Order: sequence, then structure tokens, then C-alpha cells
Amino acid sequence: MDESSTYITVEGLSSSSRPSKRLSTTSFSSQTSASGQPSRPLRLKTPLSQVRFPQGSVISHGSGPDILAPVPRKHHTLQASESPHWLGSPTPSASSSRPVSPFSLSGSHTWSESMSRRRLNRQLSFSSLKEQEQSLASPLLSAHNEGRKADSEHAGGMGKRWVRWMHKHGMKHWVVPCAVLASVWVKWSIGLGSYSGQGTPPMYGDYEAQRHWMELTIHLPMREWYKYDLQYWGLDYPPLTAYVSWLCGLIGSWINASWFALDSSRGVENPESKTYMRTTVLISDTVVYIPALYLFVRTWHANRSARTQELALLTLLLQPTLLLIDFGHFQYNSVMLGLTLFALVCFARGHDALGAVSFVLGLGFKQMALYYAPAIGSYLLGKCLYLGSAQGPRHFVRLAVVTTASMLLLFLPFLPPFAPPSAILDPITRIFPFNRGLFEDKVANFWCASDVVLKWRRRLGAKTLVRLATCLTALGFLPGAAGLIYSGWRVRLQPRTVANGDDRKTKTGCNVGKAEAGEPAPTLPLLPYALLTSSMSFFLFSFQVHEKTILLPLLPLTLLLSGVTSNEGSETWEIGMLVSNVALFSMWPLLKRDGLGVSYIAMTLLWNRLVGYNPFRTRPGSVLQYLSLIVHTGCLVLHLLELFFSPPARYPDLFPVLNVLLSTPVFGLVWLWSIRRSVEVSWALGGLGQKQGPSSPTEPKHATTRGENGDLGASVEAPAGIGRESGARAVSLGYAQGRRRLVRPRRSGSISSVLSAGSHRERK
Amino acid sequence: MQRVQATTPSGSSPSSRSFPDTHKQSSQPEPIPEHEETNFAEKQDGSTSRWRSWLYLEPSEWDILIASTCLKLLLFPAYRSTDFEVHRNWLAITHTLPISKWYYDTTSEWTLDYPPFFAYFEKLMSIPAYFIDPRIVDLNNLNYDAWSVIAFQRSTVIVTELVLGAVLLRFARGAVDRTTQRIISASLFLHPGFLIVDHIHFQYNGFMFGILLWSILMAREDNKLASGLLFAVLLNFKHIYMYLAPAYFIYLLRSFCLAPSGALLPTRFISLANVVIAVFFVSLGPFLLMGQLPQLLSRLFPFTRGLNHAYWAPNVWALVTAADRVLLKVVKRGALDMMSINETGVASTSRGLVGDTVFAVLPNVKPVHTFIITVAFQTIYLVKLWRAPTYKSFVTALTLCGWTSFMFGWHVHEKAILLVLVPLSLLAADSHAYFRTFMIASVAGVFSLFPLLFTPAETLVKVVYSTLWAVLTFAPLHSRVYEFPKSLPFVIIDGLEKLYLAGFPLLQLLATLFPVLTSRKGGASPSTGTNAEAVNGDEVGSGASALEFLPLMLTSVYCAVGLVWAFLRLSVIYIRQQY
Repeated sequence: MDESSTYITVEGLSSSSRPSKRLSTTSFSSQTSASGQPSRPLRLKTPLSQVRFPQGSVISHGSGPDILAPVPRKHHTLQASESPHWLGSPTPSASSSRPVSPFSLSGSHTWSESMSRRRLNRQLSFSSLKEQEQSLASPLLSAHNEGRKADSEHAGGMGKRWVRWMHKHGMKHWVVPCAVLASVWVKWSIGLGSYSGQGTPPMYGDYEAQRHWMELTIHLPMREWYKYDLQYWGLDYPPLTAYVSWLCGLIGSWINASWFALDSSRGVENPESKTYMRTTVLISDTVVYIPALYLFVRTWHANRSARTQELALLTLLLQPTLLLIDFGHFQYNSVMLGLTLFALVCFARGHDALGAVSFVLGLGFKQMALYYAPAIGSYLLGKCLYLGSAQGPRHFVRLAVVTTASMLLLFLPFLPPFAPPSAILDPITRIFPFNRGLFEDKVANFWCASDVVLKWRRRLGAKTLVRLATCLTALGFLPGAAGLIYSGWRVRLQPRTVANGDDRKTKTGCNVGKAEAGEPAPTLPLLPYALLTSSMSFFLFSFQVHEKTILLPLLPLTLLLSGVTSNEGSETWEIGMLVSNVALFSMWPLLKRDGLGVSYIAMTLLWNRLVGYNPFRTRPGSVLQYLSLIVHTGCLVLHLLELFFSPPARYPDLFPVLNVLLSTPVFGLVWLWSIRRSVEVSWALGGLGQKQGPSSPTEPKHATTRGENGDLGASVEAPAGIGRESGARAVSLGYAQGRRRLVRPRRSGSISSVLSAGSHRERK
Repeated sequence: MQRVQATTPSGSSPSSRSFPDTHKQSSQPEPIPEHEETNFAEKQDGSTSRWRSWLYLEPSEWDILIASTCLKLLLFPAYRSTDFEVHRNWLAITHTLPISKWYYDTTSEWTLDYPPFFAYFEKLMSIPAYFIDPRIVDLNNLNYDAWSVIAFQRSTVIVTELVLGAVLLRFARGAVDRTTQRIISASLFLHPGFLIVDHIHFQYNGFMFGILLWSILMAREDNKLASGLLFAVLLNFKHIYMYLAPAYFIYLLRSFCLAPSGALLPTRFISLANVVIAVFFVSLGPFLLMGQLPQLLSRLFPFTRGLNHAYWAPNVWALVTAADRVLLKVVKRGALDMMSINETGVASTSRGLVGDTVFAVLPNVKPVHTFIITVAFQTIYLVKLWRAPTYKSFVTALTLCGWTSFMFGWHVHEKAILLVLVPLSLLAADSHAYFRTFMIASVAGVFSLFPLLFTPAETLVKVVYSTLWAVLTFAPLHSRVYEFPKSLPFVIIDGLEKLYLAGFPLLQLLATLFPVLTSRKGGASPSTGTNAEAVNGDEVGSGASALEFLPLMLTSVYCAVGLVWAFLRLSVIYIRQQY
């Protein structure tokens, strides 16, 4: 590394400046080290004298057409880089250490020279296409390099810089442990603050509810759990929560029995018991959620660079809303989310049954997971359809049996052999309380927002409202669910494919049917969008929603966000950051009540800095950026108003209501956006698939993929999905840039394939 | 990889020329760009944008500032020691009382016992405090703990710590090896010692070490008058920095007031003396004029305390006291019955770690003994400093002076270890020997601060933060300076040191689990198990409570071993180093 990096001094030529020299140094040197390509060192080791030509002259005597030829550009709707990568093509990521595509091979020597220099100057060596294009078009721009360098430096977030720094200093193996440790530290530090209902007798808050459940589960027989003194925080979560509470209560009362004494411990508040309760959250989070995140990153981002994966992990680990609710307010949402995530990981690796069990466990931990159920159910259904008439039904039955069995297992203590048949009704009525109001407190959903004007509860009866809410919710998640099922059916394996599979069977000697069922369906990239659609529609339209349930739509959104690394100009990035900030903002009344105001400010700042998001940038470039500027300004203004003025006596809830009115449209927007994205992605999935079908050329490629980078799951199936439409449409979309990188190497075995293989190997 | 950067123009003090490692430069095949870089940097220096360069922060520096501030904000509700109330009371004293009564007020038991500059500093802060919440500066409002006062006082710590940040930036900007210095600067700014002592326990060390480092920086930039001035200012903020005064005195005398030939330079000497006297006059003058100096000094130097603090600071006396305890056990068993036993000493041991230490077996130590030993050790380093008055030698001597006082001083508090760790950090990347010393001292020193935060909730905070800091500081520095041990003794020492460091996780495990296990066994001790601060004599316990102190005692002794070893190590390195 050191040897190669010494050549980097080239960069000093171009009137470089203090700030980012070092950074550029790394990315470049890591590129060199990553490449086994013969032409590359040549480019680097050119005598300096030659390099030192002023920029203009190099360009002018270089081969013009090569430089000035337009670089193909993605269609703007596909510019968000996350969909291609979940479809399997590696995207240009700013922090990746992989070499850029070898489109300079045909170019002249000087051309590559200028390329490399530009890359150095820019420090984010191969950031967005847009940027490359700009500098290609006007090489003289390098005079303003300094200013732009600062810009692009700011474009990356703290997380990116940190990951880069770690790699540069030979600590790449420490990145994940340090990230996990740091997140644990942050979580625990949030937990130093107060919790929901601290010091507010007689009912206290969510903290007391959880503690109370530990208390009652260890002291009462199971059949009493859902019946005991329901007025005082009666248990209203599914059995898995009860079992976990029982375990926590058992350990806790072993340490100090007075924390969980029946009845007499109500409202226990002392530092030790608080520490114990916080510890239970931290441990359950560390045991369930963190591994799930890690696996997710390894699986879903399998074909991204190590740095991108680490950055994604960091982004996911520190999602502020979840941390503030779980570790500040006090809940165990991360367990349910972690189980759902684990289900996603299993789906991507093709272990559908395991994924289904995991999701059922999530449901059994917290009924909120139902928000995801339409999406997950339709993915699995879509996969059964995809598998075709032979495999499909078998798969369906297998899944149905596994799901039902695990559900029954969860409720076993409340079922006939162990309890009278009526006993099952206790948990069910507790878990699904339809006798409460339309919404609680102020929640940023459709009902609460429109209630300001329409006064639903005065106009319609409770029953009508329930029906209306259910209908709207169903209507809301339908697009996502239908998309999954329909796409699954559209790209289903034809009988021809089976024959083809038999073909392969004779070739490779493996059981094709099993292999197909054991691999993710091509509709997998749709799943996060469908999850977002369905959970958001539940949040917006369903009955009895808490403000905390925004965590559910936030999970798929953050997953989508974690895949975006080239921030600027990506739609997913803009939307994702806007919504996650607004989600946190919508939690403000709750957090304020809990006394977590300072933590709220700190976490908002920290996370935005971490991912490198600044809505108050000097010049917004797109409509979305204008929107985000307006919304963020609105949030800020509301906070300031609340700080300096107290609400008028007539409207004590003025600020929460304004909060709701500001947040709801944003949530509605992201719901619509998720539907649009699912349509786009599903079209990209199967657009040309109809005519060609999963034809044979894709299959060998498919196999190569696996052989080449050893990635499992999404990366395996997705290239097949792409390969199918490798014809005219891809090109017409301006897709060639991304495509070439993936397809050409594998087809032709050109240098870049060697390269990418090398970099893959190096990553391990 | 960083070595490319090694050529930024330095602060160009003559003393820092020992830095540029020639081998680093020779490894560069193309030195051409360096010229450009130099030119560029010179242009920067020469231009009027000096202020801009002062204010300009690179994104990574913003990152550190923002991230650390956010993390510190999260610690607002964390445990606060009595020092929090001490400082609140001082706000009240300086705000409500006239200056003539500051050092006489006894409304609260936490009387003002810092030098006048600190009192002025508190006075300054009490003005915004009054506007935020007048009850903060109410003298009779003892133990006020509303959210307003917590937020206010915690944020003053964060804000005043920016002095430290600014100075560390200056250190990094003018350094010879910028990358290394940046790591060191960042590690100092994020030092777990500051996090534990300032942001949780509550003090203003970050601010004051900022002044100390500023003074050292001035010495590096060959502006020794300013260096002396700043140190005098610092002394009037907190007199504990007197530990470092001998090194300053010798260094400034030798390298500023005397010509290299040894001739006195009268103008310089007089200017320095005037500056120092002026500072002291500004600070002490009002009290001198009011005739309150004896009262002030009696507040600053209370000579009524014992050899060890309640929790033994990890120094030589901790080892001696532990040896005494062990010998007592042996003697009690009758193995060495010829030795006489001091009865008060026996009583002293049975009371656990109580203020005044009286040895049962070993001869007792008096303040004058500790003073003589300290001076004797310091003389050795000062002679060396006199002979080699370079910047680097100065920093090492400074560290060693502080360290000697810590090792042998009377009633040393464990927080004083920061006096060692901070200047030592500046030397961390000089060579592997220095780095190793730094690593052992930092680990042992930071670990010895852990008992300051005895509440269970803060355990994870301090442990995880320190671990992260250690990884992120030691790993990059280690890769820069590593040399493998070259002969058998060094191999053995290397192995032993590693073994020693590996013992810390086990010790922490013991310290964490011990209270849980004993409270299960005893069942009757409801309160916090290991309160080091609250043990002042009244909590006399028998066997069970003696066990409570076992983790503390072990921590103290184990850290003392490492710190004594690192101290000897640095002494030998310094004496043998050629400047």
C-alpha cells in the first residue's frame, strides 16, 4: 500500500488544497491495490513530467472524441442507485474500493491520465455519473477544484469519512466491532435519561407496563396472564412478549426480588431497577436486532463493497427514532423489527420456511408486525406462483404448515389440551382492542390530521369507522401486495424452464426443483417497497394507531436508505432522509413528555451528520430538495415557536396538532412514492420477461455469478433477472453504464471481470 | 500512507527539528509535489486569511466536534458527583457575595478553594446563569438539581472545553507529522479521562488543560514569554498545576532567560518576571490589598488530610499501603511475631479505605517524607532538562514532574492522573518506546478513574467509551511506530506488558460482578455497593463491608503497578535519550 501510495503525489500538481488531500489519497491507493489490472499501474507510473501538463493542454492534444463522447446516463427515474444494486448490478459507490469500469481502455494514454487526475482531484474518486460527466464536458472546470472539492467532501457523511479513515489506517477489521460498540454506547447513554412515565403516579407509563408484565408473569399461572387486573397495565401483547417478560422477571427477581414483587412493586423506581430494565432492552436488542442488521447488510448488500456494507450497517445501527423510543421512552420494538429483518434475510437466502417462522415470532412478540403481513404474505404467495404449477403448491403447503405450526406453538399454553377452549379468547381480545378510540393522543395519520376539519368521531359511529378504516387500509396496501403477487406470476417459471432445468440437472447434477425453491424469487427487490407501502398504509389509515408505530414504516425506509451511498441527486436518499427526520419530528410531543428533549436534539444532529444530510444546503437542486427545505424549516419554526410561546388557552394542543398537520402529508407522500417505486421496479423486473422468458443464456451466467463472488441470496437471482432484459430496453434506459460493468465482464471475461473478481476476493 | 504529508511546514521552532524523520522522506520517490504544497501553505500563511484558517474546520474536524458534542449532550442526565454542587455553590458565592467575602463564606460545606482566577471565571458564568434561572445562584438553595441547573452547568463544561479543541487544532495545524498529530489531537479531545471527570463526574479540566496545552504550544512555537504567561494564568485557575511548575521554571530559565553559553539575558529575564508577577497581581492583588491572603492560602492548601485519599490513588503509596495490609495478615498469623504492630494501624485497616492511613507494620509516612522523595526525583529530570532544554525534552520533563508528584505526593487524588496522561499523549508517537509507555499509562490511568463513577448505570458508559477510545487511538498509532523487541529481555518485558494489559478486562469483570454477587449474598446492603466518595469514615463496617472494598483495592493496586512501571519506563527513556 505504501509503495503505491507514493505515486499519489501526482495530485499535488493540480493546485490542490489542504482539506481533502489525504482522503483522495486513500481512495486512489486502495484502487490501485485492488486492481490487478495491467494497464492501471502503467497509468499511475507515468513520469511526472508528462502528467504535469496544464489541464487544458492535456485535453487538447489528447484524443478529443474519446473524451467528449457523452457518457450514457441513467434514466432519471432509475437514477436512485439502490434498485439496480438490489437487482444485482454493482453501482458506482463513492466509498467503494473497487476500480471504475474500464471504459478508458480504448482511450488514449493521456485521456486516462486526465481521468485519473480528475478522480484524484475529486477525492470521491468515482462518485456519481453526473459528476463524471460534468468534468468530462468541461475539463477546465478543474480551476475551481478547490471549491468543488469542499462540496463533494461535504456530500459524504461522517460515517463515510470514518469508515474510510478506518480502512486507511489498517483497521478495517475493527469497523464492524467499533460500529456495534459505538451504537451500544449511544443506546445506553440515551437510556441514562428518563423514561416514559417516570415519576408520574398512579399509572406511570410504558416502562411501568413492561415492568408490570415481568412482575405478573413470574407470579401468576399462565392462564391468569391475560386476565389479571386489566385496569392496571393488563398484558396486551402476544405471548412471546409474555414469555420474554417472564424470563426477564425471573432473572431480575433473582438479583433483587423487591423489584418484581407482586402488587407491592408497582411503580418501583430506583436506579438499580432502572439499570436492570434498561439492560434487558439492550441485551434483547443486541441479541436480536444487531445480528439481524448485520446479516441483512451482508445478504442484501452482498455485491456492494465492504465499505458500503459497513456504512449501511452504521446507518442502520444508529436510526435515531428507534433508539429514542426503545432506549429512551422504553419499549422492545427492536426485537420485533429484528425478527422481521431476520425474515427478510432468510427470504433473500432462500430459506422461506425459516423466514416465515421468524416473522411469526415477530408477530408473536408484538402484534404491530401485522403491518408487514400483507407484504410478506404476498411475497411468499408470489414466490409460490413464480415456482410454477409443479413446485408452487408444494411450497405453499410447506409454508402454510410451518406458519400455522409455529403460531400454534406460540399460543400452545392457551389452547385446548392445556386450557379450556375459551381461554384463547383472553389473549386475542387483549391483543386486538377494537373497543378503543379511532386514534390515541395526536398521531400523524390520516384520521387525526383530517379530524381537525372533519370531526370523524362526531359524524360516524364507531362501527362504521372501523369498517371505513379497514377498507382504506386494505386499499392502501393493495398496490404493494398486488404488485408482488402479479410480478411473481408474470415471471413464473414456464414448463419450458423446468425442462431447461432438467437440462441443467443433467449438466450439473443438482436437484433443480429444490434449487428454485431454495433461492429467492426475482420479486425480492420489490419486497422492501411493498413493506413500506403496507406498513405506511396501516399507519395512515388503520384503527387505533400510536405515534410510535411510525417505526414500522421507518424500518423498510431505512433499509432502502442504507443502500444509497452516492447521496446527491438520489430520490431515495432525499425521500428517505426527509421522512426519517419528519418521523423523528412527529415523535417530538411524546419525547418531550418523556423528558428526552436534549437526547432528541443530539440524536437528530448526530444521525444527519453521520449520513451527511443537510436540508439547509445553499442551493436546492430539485423539487424534492425544495420540499425538504420547506418541511425542515417548518419543523424548525415549530420548535422555535414552542420554545418561546406557550399555546393559547383555547387550544392547549396547538403545537401537537400543527406537528401532525406538518408530518402527515410527508407520510402520505412517502406512501405514494413507495407505490410508484414498486410499479417501476416491478416493471424493470419483468418488462421484457414476457417475451423472452427466463431463457437459457441467463442460466450459465447465473451460475458464474455464484462461482465468481460467492455471494448468496439476492445477488444470485437478481443478475438473472437483469440478464433477461439485457437487450434493447436496458440500453434505451441509458442503463448501459451500469449494465456494462456487470454483464460485459462476465460475458467476455475481459479485464474488468478479472478486476472485479480480484476485488471480491480481496474483500474476503 | 500518510507519510506523504510529512512535509507540511512546521511551527519551525528550533527545538522541534528533531522531529522530521529523514527516512520517511527518503521513502518518497517523487518529492516534487511537496514543493508545491509548501508554496501553497506558505501562501496561506502569508496571506491575510490567517483568521480564516483559524476558524476553518475540515469536515473531519467538524465531525469530531459535532459527534462529541452530541455524545456529551446525551450524558446530561448522567450521574453527578458532589463536585457539581460544589461548582453550583461557587456560582452562587461569586454572584451574591462581594469579593471580600468569597473566601470566608461557609454557607455550604463546599467552600471556595480554588485560586482567584477560577473564582472570576465562576463569576463570569454566574451572569448568564442568573438569566436562565435565578435559583441557580441563590446561595441558600443548596443541592439544587432542577433540569435548568443541570443543563446550564453541563453546557458550560462543553462550551469551555472548546478552548481545548482550539488549541489541539493549532497543534495539528503546525505539526511536522500532521496525520499523527491529528490522531493525537483527536484522542486528547475525546479523552475518556475528560469524559469521565468533566462530563459525568463534573469538573472543568478540559478548559484548564486547554490552557496548559496552549502554553505548551507556545513553547513549541518558540514564544516562551507567552508560554510562561499562560502557565501563570493556569496556576491561578487551579493550583494543582504546581506539580508541573518545576519543569516550567527550569525550562524557561534555561532556554529563555539564559543564552546557550550560560550568560544571563537580563531583558528577557525581567520581562518574564514582570509578566508572571503581573498575572499573580491581577489574580491575588484584590485579596492582598484586603489583607485576606492568609485566609485564601489556608483555603487553597488544607494540610489536614491523610496520605491516601478514600480510594487510593494508584501510586507508590497505594502499593506500600497494600504491602502493609498483606504484612499485617502475615504478622497476625504469627509468622513474624518479632515485628511490632501499630495498634492504630490495625484499627485503620479494619475500617477499610478510610481517609487517614496509618500503617500497622511499616513505618509511617509523614508529609515531609513525601516532599523530599518528590523533590529528589524531580531533581534528576530537571538536571537533564537543564542540559537539554529542547521542546521535546521539556514536554517529557513536564510529564515526569507531574508524574513524580502523582507517584509520591501527599493525599493525591486519582483525578490528578490527567496531569500525566495529557502531556504524555503529546509524546505518544515519537517512538515505539514512548508509545508503549503511553499505552500502559493511559490504560492504567483511565481504568483507575473508573471508580469515580460507581453507579451501575454509568459502568457501561465508561467501559465502552474507553474501549472504543483505546482501539481508535492505539491501533493507528501502533501501526505507525511499531518496532519489534530486539533482544531477549525486551521480549520478556513485551510479553509481561501484554499480559498486564490483558488483565484489565478480567479486573473489570470482577469489579462489575462483585457488587451483584455480594448483594445477593448479603442481601441487606440496599445502597450502592462501591461508593468511594461516601466512605468517609462514617460507614464503618465489619467483614462484609471490608469485602466491598476488595474490588476498589484491587483496582488501585493493579493500576498502581502499571503506572509505577510506566513511570520508571519513561524515566529511563528520558535519561537515556540523546537530544
